[in-house]
Amino acid sequence: MEKMNELLEKYFRGETTLAEEEVLKSYFLSETVKSEHESYRVLFEAFDQEKKETANAPLLKVLPRQREVKHFWIKTFSYSGIAAALVLALWVQYPRSEKDYAIIHGHRINDPEYAQKYAEKKLNDVNEMLQNGLRPLRNMEALKENLRASTRKNGTLKDEIIELNKTRNINN
Amino acid sequence: MSDVRCSIFLRHYKCMDTNQFNAQILTLSDKLFRLAKSILCNAEAAQDAVQELSLKLWEKRSKLDEVENVPAFTMRAMRNLCLDTIRQQRDADELPAEMEFVEPNPHQQIEQKDLVTRVRKMIDELPELQRTIIRMRDVEGMEIAEIAYVTSLTENAVSVNLSRARQKIRERIIYEQKRVEETVWKR
Repeated sequence: MEKMNELLEKYFRGETTLAEEEVLKSYFLSETVKSEHESYRVLFEAFDQEKKETANAPLLKVLPRQREVKHFWIKTFSYSGIAAALVLALWVQYPRSEKDYAIIHGHRINDPEYAQKYAEKKLNDVNEMLQNGLRPLRNMEALKENLRASTRKNGTLKDEIIELNKTRNINN
Repeated sequence: MSDVRCSIFLRHYKCMDTNQFNAQILTLSDKLFRLAKSILCNAEAAQDAVQELSLKLWEKRSKLDEVENVPAFTMRAMRNLCLDTIRQQRDADELPAEMEFVEPNPHQQIEQKDLVTRVRKMIDELPELQRTIIRMRDVEGMEIAEIAYVTSLTENAVSVNLSRARQKIRERIIYEQKRVEETVWKR
């Protein structure tokens, strides 16, 4: 009894611990409250009543899920990109089991020396063809140069005639 | 003070997903609602405040991962949001500065027949800081250090305010009971 009075005074001074306050709550919510403490029963009943109060409306559980969709696609694209890069790297790095070969006139040639010689010969032919094909173009260049020279000469003659005409007009 | 306390509450965690968020924040919704209702003195406004806070916390959940004591951090955020709401309403002259203790008229006395309801109203009539502290301690069972973090006060200041709040309620309960006894004697 005396202990409970002390505890109650300590409580109102704000000095009780949570454990001591638990003792007080249990006492005041029980059926064994002494008549001299009866006044304070309402206080602890009020706290108990408030603790049972809950938020009525449901909280936002949907919104986070909607945001998750965005993250899902970001993750999917990232992982697909990484997987594709790995496959490509393996394909480039992986040693070929078959030897090199060439196809000439629809036939498979496994002899690399023959294939190389054949390729060189064909490239020489192409080179020669190009050289022959470009020869007329070289003649065209020479012709153009001659034309330019004669045009320049014509310009000089024209200037001389104009000059002569001027001199004649002055003399007249 | 709060910086030192903040550093105690901060710790690194891995990124929080939906389930973790639901587990940590949404389970606190009743506690947050009670705190908001105590500060705003309005159940509907309290519900809106809790919704607003949970949205804000979801948007900033990456920062929430660094918080060690999520319940205390969330309670602090809830109180700050409610105080901002009160400030905005006060600027718009929608709310009185603070509710005052007024002796109930006969009509109110009939309404507040239940003494427990009257005690709850007495708590509502305390200054915001005192009613928040008394409820965090006596309803939610929070440690003084946690209340100090939520209210940005020292532990000593919390104890002083807690004591004042309890003393005021004690005086009013005694006053109420004397008045009831006098009424009975007069009859």
